[in-house]
Amino acid sequence: MDAQTLVAGMEAGSIGRRALVQLASLRLTLAVIVLLAAGVIAAYFLHGATTWPVAIPLLLFAINLGAAVAVHPAFRRQAALLVFHLALIAIVLLVAAGRLTYLKGRLELAQGEAFAGRLTQAEQGPLHFGRLERAGFVNDGFSIHYAAGLRRGATRNHVSWTDAGGMMRSAVIGDNDPLLRAGYRFYTSFNKGFAPTFLWQPRGGRPEIGAVHLPAYPLHEYRQAQEWQPPGSATSLWIMLMFDEVVLDIGKATEFRLPETHSLVVRLNDVRHELQPGDALRLPDGVLTYQGLRSWMGYTVFHDFTLPWLLAACALAVASLGWHFWSKFSARPWDR
Amino acid sequence: MQQELLVLWTALVIYVCGGSIAVFGAVLGRRPERTVLGLLLAGLLLHTASIVLRWERLGHGPFVTMFEILSSNVWSLLLVFAVAYWRIRALRPAAAVVMPVLFVMMGWLLMTSPGEGHLPPTYHTVWLYIHIGFGKVFLGAVLVAVGIAGIVLLRATAFGAARFARLPGDAQLDELAFRFMAIGLIFETLMLVAGAIWAQDAWGRYWAWDPLETWAFLTWLCLAFALHARLAFKIAPRTGAWLILAVFVIAFLTFFGVPFVSTSPHKGAV
Repeated sequence: MDAQTLVAGMEAGSIGRRALVQLASLRLTLAVIVLLAAGVIAAYFLHGATTWPVAIPLLLFAINLGAAVAVHPAFRRQAALLVFHLALIAIVLLVAAGRLTYLKGRLELAQGEAFAGRLTQAEQGPLHFGRLERAGFVNDGFSIHYAAGLRRGATRNHVSWTDAGGMMRSAVIGDNDPLLRAGYRFYTSFNKGFAPTFLWQPRGGRPEIGAVHLPAYPLHEYRQAQEWQPPGSATSLWIMLMFDEVVLDIGKATEFRLPETHSLVVRLNDVRHELQPGDALRLPDGVLTYQGLRSWMGYTVFHDFTLPWLLAACALAVASLGWHFWSKFSARPWDR
Repeated sequence: MQQELLVLWTALVIYVCGGSIAVFGAVLGRRPERTVLGLLLAGLLLHTASIVLRWERLGHGPFVTMFEILSSNVWSLLLVFAVAYWRIRALRPAAAVVMPVLFVMMGWLLMTSPGEGHLPPTYHTVWLYIHIGFGKVFLGAVLVAVGIAGIVLLRATAFGAARFARLPGDAQLDELAFRFMAIGLIFETLMLVAGAIWAQDAWGRYWAWDPLETWAFLTWLCLAFALHARLAFKIAPRTGAWLILAVFVIAFLTFFGVPFVSTSPHKGAV
């Protein structure tokens, strides 16, 4: 290497070092905090645009923190401060990883129905390659207590599944207690209702069970009707549940339950049929037999592999910050 | 309910007496510290009894209605301040700044309906107590810092300089105030983490930018900004005092203002 190349290399190194020092500036940290606050406020008021106004300041924040850790000698003297800043960087990176790989969705299952991996609504990160079908479970029914005034109490949902060893497992999930399956968390929701269940025998095909999830009850108490097509059929039906009794009495403590007596109105084109459990209805492409009424439960599903790491990084950040302040404050009384 | 309200009102009257004596003591240049501490403790004792009676009657803690939230926060802020008042003699004159702030909350509490609320099913978790407990320590620490900052700012006037002349210098008070702000930062961080754990279990997401989450995070950013600004710019005690007041205002609006402007903060009651 000749002298000229060496000088050029040293100059480039010096420029790089100066840039790193500027990136590590405490004043830049303040500017980034202000930018992040502005991003959060923008995301708050611009509904739906929460990613970029927050992601860009967070990226700058991570760069600023990383440069500060690399440059400032204070971090080599104060281990707690170093750990705190490294934990903050880890939190930012984990949040980014979480946003790339998360899954959030909704599903509904009638009592006795197994979850086969199909969601009614979902949003996910671009790098989510999950296997929801591995997270199968069966909704075995639920109970919900209501205080007087229809104030919802605890939800207790019985679920069961087969584990990797082929053993049947069961659990009760509900408020604050999700079901954990294959890295996915399933939560009961306030959405639940009645599900008329049918046996559908298509002409020349195999029979299938189908359940109509009527609008949530008691939220849509007076709208217990739904359009529905039997599985694989092109025939569209309008189905309405009718009952006269008071299922959830607003005046006293009560439990969610199915109506004791009911009838089901099924309308095909302009023809109205009223069915009781066991009644069959001949359709152009098969026979529909009403089996009876069940309940359905709405679930939300969430997947984010970073959760335990994020918690660990947060715990480390708080512990190291406390350690840093403790050692700093105990070294010198405040009034000196 | 009459009994618990009677006990609460008695506690508030005692607080007001203690606070008024602290304010008049500061104005007249006297230091009736033992009387003030005695009255604060007596008020706290009765206030605790009132909260326990209500808890016993309703079967849940003071977490649901604005009346309960205000009452429990007046209680916790006074508890934190009374402990600081008892342990750190130098900040006792700060009662003349802190108590009027609490008078406002007490007046608001008196105007709020003491009716009952329904404890949502997602509130039946130990994380509720952890989250709220951390939040109360955070706000209490910032309130103590506000008291000290108030003295620094009052000393900028001839009136305040004469009344608070015997206290340590502004630089020392600034250092003490920012130590309370540092405690506030730790406890607000813990509050956010505990809240995220609870939200994950209760609503299936650890963070969703709901109004309270958003403003709690903004408060955290303001607190971090104030601490960092003091480090980066070596700011003067008076500037630091204004920063502390700004953080308190944002924290106060987050705790007590957001539930008014938003219809769905942290409810989970549906």
